[in-house]
Amino acid sequence: MRKNIIFLLLISVLGFTSCDDELQLEPEDQLTLPVSFSNKETSLGVLTGAYSAAQQDDVLNGTRQAIADWMADNVDFVGSFPTFQDISAFTQLSDNTSIQAIWDDNYETIGATNLVIKYVPTVEDLDFTEDERAVAVGEAKFLRALVYFNMANIFSQPFSVTGGSNLSVPLVLEPFDAEVQFPSRATLNEVYNQIELDLMDAAAVLGDSDNSRASKGAAEGLLSRLYLYKGEYAKAADYSNRVIQNSAYTLATDFSFYNTQDSEFVFTLVNTSADGQDSGQGFSGLYNPVPGGRGDAPFSDNLIAAYGGESSIDKRYTELNQVGNDAEGNERVFTSKYPDGVTNADNAPVIRITEMYLTRAEANFREGTVIGDTPLNDINKLRVRAGLAPLAAITSVDQILEERRKELAFEGHRRMDLLRVLKPLRRPGMDDVEKSNPGDNKTIFPIPSREVDLNPNLVQNPGF
Amino acid sequence: MEKRLNGILTLFLVFMVQLTFAQDKTVTGSVSDEAGLPLPGVNVIVQGTNNGAQTDFDGNYSINTANGQILVFSYVGFATQRITVGAANNINVTLAVDAAALDEVVVVAYGVQDKRTLLQSVAVIDSEQIADVPSAGPQDLLQGQAAGVQVVNSSGILGSAPVIKIRGVGSISSGSRPLFVIDGVPLNDANQTTGQGGQALNPLGDINPNDIESMTVLKDAAATAVYGSRGANGVVLITTKRGKAGQDTRVSLDITTSWSESTDQFDMLSGDQWRQFRVDTGKEDNIADQDQDSFDWPSAVVRTGFSKSIDASVSGGSEKSSYYLGTSLSDQEGFIRGNELKRRSVRLNLNSEATDWLNVGASLNYSFNDNDRVGSENSTFAPLTSAYLQRPVVTPFDEDGNYVNTGFIANVLAIEDLDINDAKTTRFIGNVFAEADIFFDGLTFRTDFGVDRVFLEEQERSFEINSAGGYARNRVAQQNKWILTNTLNYNQTFNDLHTINGVAGISYEETDTRQIDVEGTGFLSDKLINVTSASDFSTTNSEGAGSRLFGVFGRLGYDYDKKYVLEGSVRRDGSSRFGANEQYGVFWSAAAGWVISEEAFMQDVNWVNLLKLSASYGTAGNDRIGNYASLESFEGGAISNYNGNSGLRQLSAANPDLKWERSESFNVGLSTSFFSNRLGLNVEYYNKKTSDLILQVPIPFTNGGLNFITANVGEMENKGFDISLNTVNVRNDNFTWSTSLNVGINENEILSLPGASIDDQGREFVIGTPAQRAIVGESANTFFLIRYAGVNPETGDAEWLDIDGNRTTTPTANDRVIVGDANPDFVGGIRNTFKYKAFDLNVFFNFSVGNDILIDGLRFTDNANTGSFNKRTKLLDIWQQPGDIAYVPSPSSPTFASFNQASTLQLRDGSFARLKNLTLGYTLPTQYLGEDGFFSGVRLYFTANNLVTFKGDDLDGIDPEVTDTIGSLGQGESFFTAPQSKTYLFGVRLNF
Repeated sequence: MRKNIIFLLLISVLGFTSCDDELQLEPEDQLTLPVSFSNKETSLGVLTGAYSAAQQDDVLNGTRQAIADWMADNVDFVGSFPTFQDISAFTQLSDNTSIQAIWDDNYETIGATNLVIKYVPTVEDLDFTEDERAVAVGEAKFLRALVYFNMANIFSQPFSVTGGSNLSVPLVLEPFDAEVQFPSRATLNEVYNQIELDLMDAAAVLGDSDNSRASKGAAEGLLSRLYLYKGEYAKAADYSNRVIQNSAYTLATDFSFYNTQDSEFVFTLVNTSADGQDSGQGFSGLYNPVPGGRGDAPFSDNLIAAYGGESSIDKRYTELNQVGNDAEGNERVFTSKYPDGVTNADNAPVIRITEMYLTRAEANFREGTVIGDTPLNDINKLRVRAGLAPLAAITSVDQILEERRKELAFEGHRRMDLLRVLKPLRRPGMDDVEKSNPGDNKTIFPIPSREVDLNPNLVQNPGF
Repeated sequence: MEKRLNGILTLFLVFMVQLTFAQDKTVTGSVSDEAGLPLPGVNVIVQGTNNGAQTDFDGNYSINTANGQILVFSYVGFATQRITVGAANNINVTLAVDAAALDEVVVVAYGVQDKRTLLQSVAVIDSEQIADVPSAGPQDLLQGQAAGVQVVNSSGILGSAPVIKIRGVGSISSGSRPLFVIDGVPLNDANQTTGQGGQALNPLGDINPNDIESMTVLKDAAATAVYGSRGANGVVLITTKRGKAGQDTRVSLDITTSWSESTDQFDMLSGDQWRQFRVDTGKEDNIADQDQDSFDWPSAVVRTGFSKSIDASVSGGSEKSSYYLGTSLSDQEGFIRGNELKRRSVRLNLNSEATDWLNVGASLNYSFNDNDRVGSENSTFAPLTSAYLQRPVVTPFDEDGNYVNTGFIANVLAIEDLDINDAKTTRFIGNVFAEADIFFDGLTFRTDFGVDRVFLEEQERSFEINSAGGYARNRVAQQNKWILTNTLNYNQTFNDLHTINGVAGISYEETDTRQIDVEGTGFLSDKLINVTSASDFSTTNSEGAGSRLFGVFGRLGYDYDKKYVLEGSVRRDGSSRFGANEQYGVFWSAAAGWVISEEAFMQDVNWVNLLKLSASYGTAGNDRIGNYASLESFEGGAISNYNGNSGLRQLSAANPDLKWERSESFNVGLSTSFFSNRLGLNVEYYNKKTSDLILQVPIPFTNGGLNFITANVGEMENKGFDISLNTVNVRNDNFTWSTSLNVGINENEILSLPGASIDDQGREFVIGTPAQRAIVGESANTFFLIRYAGVNPETGDAEWLDIDGNRTTTPTANDRVIVGDANPDFVGGIRNTFKYKAFDLNVFFNFSVGNDILIDGLRFTDNANTGSFNKRTKLLDIWQQPGDIAYVPSPSSPTFASFNQASTLQLRDGSFARLKNLTLGYTLPTQYLGEDGFFSGVRLYFTANNLVTFKGDDLDGIDPEVTDTIGSLGQGESFFTAPQSKTYLFGVRLNF
């Protein structure tokens, strides 16, 4: 009998254990969402991860900028890379894989910023002060605004053509949380308004301590670009002036500032050989001649002529070019702003103070104002730095636009700088001029066919 | 007065005599078998009472009984005897072996069952079928031995992992291997070795086949439902050898020597043929200007491998305990240069009756494998691959006899002779148990604690001549599991009519894996071996993962008079692998059967021994879905860092609804046995539908850039027949001949793949390889290729068929159509056993019919145009003039450079029948062993493996049994995969 009682006890002990807790096993080499936002360090890690996502070549590190350049008049396309070739000939189709990759990686960056914006305020950590949280959210909002701005500019017709009522990209402001969403496209105005809101929020809380990360100057600088593209010149002048007045940023004295964190840069993305351009199709891979780069993107003759041709004394040409072979073995002129074709460690110049001077000058000229300084002084500062004689007077906005072209070549601005002033992307005599007018169907990208197939709420751009 | 006294006395006498009759007495005696050996543990019962005894260690018994009562002597495996007690007080009994009763009991999940009333669909492989067969692991022993089980060896490399499918392909993206359980311990079987161009080594290669007593393959849901979320792909139960209580000590020593050779090799051009070919095809002007060297690479990388092994075992027991101690040492040399495998293992199994209500025991196994590996398949460091691709004008040595580096196609002689490439595995598998009779008759409680620890160390060192700057790699990987199972078993028969057997249990197991990898380059000297001396560390990595499983299960069976049988089982499993919303799954089965041969109307039908109908239906799951697949993943490391700061990026989406893949199967079977068990036929029909197949369903990129969700969405069906036939054809005093045939017919069809890509014909598909897909409406392993039509005799152009069936010389990917299926229509084996006096001959064929194979390496060996790779001699057949029927198009044809492109040119019918095993043995007759002979048995045997293969005519130099992947998709393809080897083995077995 005693034996039976012992058995009964043994069985009840061994038999009725439950192991619910054991089944919630946490992985060792990856974190779940709640763990990633469980304290300050890991939460700021997710913000760092958003910058890292932006380091993908087709977000901020050059692929998107080079493709835009090939559509315009600064850069020729040489070679046989099929997806790039199609875009440069305005024959791209909706199944173009380079365009699909741009959509994929940019939305990945947006997703990372959405995670920070939503969850940082909820982190339970007493060491994570309100100010620190606001700064983290501000940085994420700047990055999100920057990426949406870049996306809107290539996937929808420009504001100058449509006034903003056209369909742009889907505006996704919530991070992914296990339920798949099928958003429809927002209008360009809705996207631009969200960008403006995010940048205002960012400018209010950010400081200017590190120009490799978002800052007040970066937010205000991007705002000035937004207003310029929208034609709101008074605000463009105001915000570009604020950045110029910001003591953290000063005009460099010569052109050796590339690939440094010189105070010429308001925001630059820092890359190293181990951490940065990842595909061989970023700035360094595309803009360099063979053998370091692909040799696909030499100066167009039109651009060389803009600098004054072979006998140019413009330092922005003479000090920033290199001669090398293109993809077909012919000797051409290439930019040397991204010289490291071997390890692709060149930084991405995103916003620099020179752009602020150009914006202020143009906005002031168009509005007839002199906020901060006269357009003539602003332009001459840049011309003197470039070794050119200063102008006596500015009679046409085209002079300012010419200086802008020569300063910002190969930095991803040219295409929008033409479209926003309603000029064709190609100059007379160049290939496919007739397909390059603002508003033409193939001057923008199609929504990738994969996305249209998976998401019935998306409407494709006309002509694709 | 005297008369009355006489009467009283007479009555008294009679009374006394009557008392004498009714009086208890003690009867003693001894029980022995037909050979005169005493039988301990025989049950002696006085019929109709609870009065019983058992024979002791010497076979002696003593029991209280009375004249006229009947003593029943019964013992497992022997025919029961009934003897009436007479005047004698000493009754000695001889028990005869009951041949039919020997197979009485079948090992099933968590218990044993009576074979005659068994409803589950199982296949049993007993020790007779696996004795004398040299095999690399337990999977090898299954090949062709069990209906419905298909085993495909993936490669002839020592230690390679075979592919096992029980009733067809079980999954698309999750594993489709069955669960292996040894003595109650489910085995770790994650692939942890690196592929080295091919696939990983056999994760069950540490189980010594000589320790195996029997294997039971559980096939349908009635058998596997009690394994719940792991039963969908079938379960293989392995039982190892144990001693018998009271048995004389038996010592067995098995010594073998064997040699092995390659079976199939391509016939490649020699140096002279190469030079001539280059001239004939217009690539070189003349022979004299070319490199004049010649070397036969394919012959240089193969050899005759000599192997030897010693297996020694001791088993025995005392009255209450028994033990089995088995050891094995083997040194194997493969037929590929540089491939060797040393195996050492030790097993100790103990059983003991601690008290009359408590049994305890342990099964412990320790093994060590040292595999000197060679690369395989898609690696130019692989001996066979490089030997075929290397041009015959390249020599491995320079004029002084030193090794040279031969460039992109590596010098595999130098690699195999000089470099280090080892994988050492140490494994400990153990199980201890205690079993107690508790509460009431028929109820036992059993607790098992099991452990399986695998420790793998891989070391590679490539020296200067083979890798500039030197290269070293070291990897250490562990898989550790422990499992605790408690069960209550109940077996009881009431009124000789109603039998109930049931088991209820709880099981909890934890599995943890950990691995460390380091790689380095930049060595100053070949004498510096380890990564610590490198100057550049290309990899430093360490990872860990784990899973937990908690199950509650039960099975209840009832039979009425052994005629009408019912059984049901259920299991609820909770696993750490399942998503938070689906943490627990419930699996169940129900089965019913009718043993027609036990019916009264069948009692006079003497030629029918067994006639049983059974049907079952149930569900099971497949939990091979990855350890953390349901969780979102934020990862750190290089991809998440920015400007020197550490970051985290979300790389995969969560799916809290992710769960096991589920199979529902229906099985109906007929089991028969006729003519005193001389003819046995089993036929089963099954239909298994697998749903909730895990697929990566693409989602819009706007969801945070996450490209897909892993979700349970697909459906697949397997149906077919399992047939097994066993006959004893001839049985007389000197000669017996028996045959055993099993056939598994299977048809696999994909039912739906939601979210998958859609092809031009509107069907969803998942890509397995560039040539193979899982397509809705077809099988999971469908070949999808351009059709090749041959060289046009008139024009000398190679031609293909376009999508509409018209001939073309410029096919594109859009012309691909469904051309074949890697899954066979049926597989099986046939074994014939002959015994004549002291000789025995065992002839075993296994076959596979209706499967197609793709010899992908032919794209390289049949490339007529290139000067970079060698070619097969078949390419000497070049078209020269109109009317020629040739293999290679004209050198001036535009198709000359493209005729070897991927198409049905590389596809073959892989049906084959192979004489897998031929064993001739001679057992020394007992009279030669002597009265008190030292040996109790001596047997000599000779075995040949893979002696002859019957295959298609177009498979010259090609082994039809190949697959270069062990995943579910991409079966039946070979990329220079090493063929199976032909092995000749001579062995001596001595029993003491």
